[in-house]
Amino acid sequence: MKNKVLMGLAAVAMVAVLSSCGKKPQAEIDAANAAIEAAKTAEAPVYVAAEFAAVQDSLNAVMADITAQESKLFKKFGPAKAKLASIVTLANTVAANAATKKEEVKAETTTLLTDIKTVIEENGKLIPKLPRGKEGAAVIEQIKADVATVDAAVVEAQGLFDKGSYMDALNKIKAAKEKADGLNAEVKEVLTKARIKF
Amino acid sequence: MRRLKKVWRRTFLFTGITVFIAVAVTLLIRFAPKPPEQKVALARIALSEATANKADTYSRNLFHEARALYDSAMVNWQLENERFLYFRDYGKVETFADLCTRKAKQAAKVSKNNVTDLNIFIRQKIGKLNTIVNQINERFSSYPLPPEIWKNISKGKMLLKEAEVAYNKNDYPLSKAKIADSEILLTESYEYATNHLKEYFNSYPLWKKWADRTISESRQNNSYSIIIDKFARKCLIYFAGVKKYEYHVELGRNWVGDKKEKGDKKTPEGMYRITRKFGSNKTKYHKALLIDYPNANDIQEFRNEIAKGTLPRNAKIGSLIEIHGDGGRGIDWTEGCIALTNSEMDVVFKIAGEGTPVTIIGSMVNLDQLTD
Repeated sequence: MKNKVLMGLAAVAMVAVLSSCGKKPQAEIDAANAAIEAAKTAEAPVYVAAEFAAVQDSLNAVMADITAQESKLFKKFGPAKAKLASIVTLANTVAANAATKKEEVKAETTTLLTDIKTVIEENGKLIPKLPRGKEGAAVIEQIKADVATVDAAVVEAQGLFDKGSYMDALNKIKAAKEKADGLNAEVKEVLTKARIKF
Repeated sequence: MRRLKKVWRRTFLFTGITVFIAVAVTLLIRFAPKPPEQKVALARIALSEATANKADTYSRNLFHEARALYDSAMVNWQLENERFLYFRDYGKVETFADLCTRKAKQAAKVSKNNVTDLNIFIRQKIGKLNTIVNQINERFSSYPLPPEIWKNISKGKMLLKEAEVAYNKNDYPLSKAKIADSEILLTESYEYATNHLKEYFNSYPLWKKWADRTISESRQNNSYSIIIDKFARKCLIYFAGVKKYEYHVELGRNWVGDKKEKGDKKTPEGMYRITRKFGSNKTKYHKALLIDYPNANDIQEFRNEIAKGTLPRNAKIGSLIEIHGDGGRGIDWTEGCIALTNSEMDVVFKIAGEGTPVTIIGSMVNLDQLTD
């Protein structure tokens, strides 16, 4: 009787050794996925695309490791667990870097929006000084068209900025700023030629 | 003794079973199908390289196919893992992994080529559109195009700037999209302006005839003649058939085309003569030379237009067209007159007398020479 019990225990132990030597680190996988999702939410693919791709690559590699371990009779998930933990740390860093980059872009866009509004304000004061009664002149028509275009671009950029699309807003406002500066120089040139003080 | 024998028998049996199991497990592991770890790793590396080469943007279909093949390989691998060790078949996993590697490599290659091609394409397009912008600036900055056309040109220029910003950030898809929008606006506007200009230059043979006659008269009479080249904004003064002076002029704000009626802000075209001179105390524009506009031809032309209905019945013919001072403003600002700077007006006023020919034409050169 005693021997039978002993044999039974040995068999149970063997089954235990063979089947559940290591358990899939589901909690760690979930944590890594959550960290990557958080990085995505922080717009890492927009602001730090290369870093984000690297973390995603690392997770893919670890997931392949885990599947490979699952194929084995004697599973060993220890290294995968350690890698998953480092992926969480890395994803958090990437999310933080994305937030920093986003802030930088936001700051640059804010500065450009402020600058362009100053230029537009100055243009608004200069344009009425253009030679009076010359509304039909080709130069004035061009200036008027450019003013409308810049205004529309600023409104569009401000809308993108308000929506939090800082990168898109920055692209738009950079082009608009160049145009507004050009317009400012053009108006000043016309005023100078017309001997009008500004 | 019997008890000892029994113990030995049981120990032998237990050891035997253990050895059997160990051998069976070893054989099972030894001969069980091996998962294609290496191939899956290669597929993953190929996918990474494709991502690094921006295949997800520039070779989207191939990349997504490769990605789907990798996912299929992983799913099949996991499904096989659920089966008993010895009955697993990783054939599909291998096939998917191999296909993924091939597709991902292809995607990376195509992406690289597309990036290179797109880079060249965008650079060329930006260059071409900037050439159009420069031509618009050179030929039409003083040309009275309709406000709608100027609006489109302005929008087109802005989109071109945005395309340049995106190009400099290597965002080629955005740059390409902006270029497409810009190209429509700029080329259509440029085409409109060019056609308008071509139509205007249909009168060139007549202008040339007038100019030749004016110069010839100056030569024959050994006298001064004035030619106003509207397109070049030039006042050309000939003496004895030789050009003596050349001054910049400003015109009526809608200077393109012949003057049709009072208030159309056009500078007339034709062969005229100075009829009166106004010194500084008789004009508000420093000094002025009145020409005989409208002459008999202009009056006949005006009547014809009324008869054809191209001018309203209550339209009035313009008058009081002068060459005067107060110019140098940098824009076309007059009601139809020709403005010079005061110092240049002093010279013209001095040499011109009543009867001096003043011929106003669209251009001294034809359009081909102008566009060259």
